[in-house]
Amino acid sequence: MKDDGQRPTEARAPMPIVVEDVSFTYPSGTHALRGVSLRVSPGEAVAIVGENGAGKTTLVKHLNGLLKPGTGRVTIGDWDTREHTVAKMAARVGYVFQNPDDQIVERTVGDEVAFGPRRLGQPAAEQQANVAAALATVGLTEAAKTHPYDLTAPQRKLVTLASVLAMRTPIVIFDEPTMGQDARGVALIGDIVDRLKAEGRTVLTITHDIDFCAAHFGRAIVMADGQVLADGPAADVLTRADVLATTNVEPPQLVRLAQALRLKRAPLTVEEFVAEVVGSE
Amino acid sequence: MSTSFSLYIPRESGMHRLHPLTKLALVAFCLVLGLFLPGVWLTYLVFLLIIVPLAAWAGVLPPFLRAAFKTALPVVISVFLVQGLFWPGGTPILHLGPLSLKQEGLQFAIRSAGRFITVVSSFLLLTFTTRPDGLMLALSQRGFPNSIAYIMLATMQIVPRFQAKANTILDAQRSRGLETEGNLLVRLRALLPLVQPLLLGSIVDIEERAIALEVRAFGRQGPKTSLLVLRDTPAQRVLRWLLLLGMLAVIGWRLYLAIAPRLAA
Repeated sequence: MKDDGQRPTEARAPMPIVVEDVSFTYPSGTHALRGVSLRVSPGEAVAIVGENGAGKTTLVKHLNGLLKPGTGRVTIGDWDTREHTVAKMAARVGYVFQNPDDQIVERTVGDEVAFGPRRLGQPAAEQQANVAAALATVGLTEAAKTHPYDLTAPQRKLVTLASVLAMRTPIVIFDEPTMGQDARGVALIGDIVDRLKAEGRTVLTITHDIDFCAAHFGRAIVMADGQVLADGPAADVLTRADVLATTNVEPPQLVRLAQALRLKRAPLTVEEFVAEVVGSE
Repeated sequence: MSTSFSLYIPRESGMHRLHPLTKLALVAFCLVLGLFLPGVWLTYLVFLLIIVPLAAWAGVLPPFLRAAFKTALPVVISVFLVQGLFWPGGTPILHLGPLSLKQEGLQFAIRSAGRFITVVSSFLLLTFTTRPDGLMLALSQRGFPNSIAYIMLATMQIVPRFQAKANTILDAQRSRGLETEGNLLVRLRALLPLVQPLLLGSIVDIEERAIALEVRAFGRQGPKTSLLVLRDTPAQRVLRWLLLLGMLAVIGWRLYLAIAPRLAA
C-alpha cells in the first residue's frame, strides 16, 4: 500500500483525557453512559472493570471519537472529539479492538503493523523503525512476511497490538487484551503495558482479568449501569469487595486470600503479599 | 435462538401474532400480485393498499418505510436512468442534450420499479414481523428439510450480520487513521480494506456456526422438539388456502391475458 503522507505524526506531547458529564444513548434506546466524568493524566495506567453492559466499551469509544457524546464533552489534550474525525483522533489515541479478526486487513503481518503508521503519515524511515520495534515487542519479528491468518488467534491478537504500538500514539487503549492468551501471552502483554508506562504514555484497558489489572494498573475505575461506581488507586478500589460485587467483579485472588487471612492490608502483588505475611508474623 | 442479528422488530401486534406460514402466504400473495398483475400502476396499488397497511397494523411502519426506501431507491433511480434515457428507439418526450427521455423506456422503468418495490417491501414486511426461528420451525413442521430451512434463516439474517461486522471493521480501520469521511472517492477507498476481513470473517463465521449446529445434533434424523410454540387457528388455515387460490387465480388470469389474443387469432 502506498504511503499517502497526508498527515504529520502527532507530537507525543502530554495529552490529558478529560470526560465531562458525558451521557450517551444508543439508537436502540439503551442508556449506555449516564453523566460520566473523569480525568486521566498523561502517563497514567487505568483499568476499567465492570460486568458486561456496564458501559466500559461505550466509554472508551468516546475517547477516540468512534462515539460522540449525546451530552457533555470529551477532550484529548486540546482536541474536542466532536470536532475531529476518528482518523484524525488516531494520531493521539491508539485503540486495540477486542477481536483481532475485525482489524486485520493486510496480507502480511509487516504490512498489517504498518497500516496505522502509513495512514498517520509517518516518514518511511520512522515507519520502518516503529514497525520493527513493535514486532520485536510482541515477539513476532520472524513472522513479518507471514499472512496474519496463518497465525494462531492469540498471535493475531498480538499483531493487532503491534499495529497500534507502531502508531506511537501518546494514549493507547486495549479492549480485553488478555482474552484468549495463555500465561506467557498475559505476561508479555503485562510487559508491554509496563513498557508503555515507562515511556510516559497513557494506557487504558478494559478487562475482566482482575489479576492482570491488579498487577499492571495503578488506577482502577469500576463501572456499572453506565456510571462510575468507584475510581481511585487500584490498591484501594480493587479491595472494596462490596463495590466490586455490585457489578459482579471479584477482587483479585491475592486480595481475597489476604482478606481470608485477615491481614491488615490487602496486597496486589505477590511481593507485597509476602511482605505483609512476613511482617505480620 | 437469538434475534439480535435479524431485522425482526418485536411488537405486540396482530400481524406479529399470525402464524409464520400465514405471513409467508401473505408475502407470497403480494409477490405474485406484484410480479403478475398487468399494467404499469397496479403493483403500486399492491404496495399502497396491502403492504403498507399491513406494516402499519404490525406497528413497524416508520422503520419499514425507511428500510424500503433505502433499499429500493438506488435501484429505482438506476432503472429510471438506464431505461428512460437509453431505451432503443421509442418516442422521445424530453430532450436532454444528446440524450432523450423515451416514453416506452419510462413506462418500462415505472413497471420495473413497481415490481422491485413490491418484492423488496414484501420481504421486509416478513422479516420485520416474523421471528426467524419461528419461520424455520413452521417450515420444518411442514416437512421442509431442516437444512433448507436453515439456509432460508441464514439468508434472512445475513444482511444485519454483515452490516454489524462491516461497521466494526470500519471502526477498527478508522481508529488506525483510515479516513472515511469526505467525498465519494474517499469513501470508496475506505471500503476496500473492509472486503477481506468481511469475507474471510463471514466464511469463518458460517463454518463455525455450521459446526456449532452439527455438534448440537442439527443433522439428527427423526422428530425434534422446540421450546417455541406456534399458534395456528382454523381461520388462518382457511386464509392460507384462500391466498393460495388467489395466487393461482392471478397467475391463471395473467396467462389467459397472454394467450387469449393468440387464441382469437
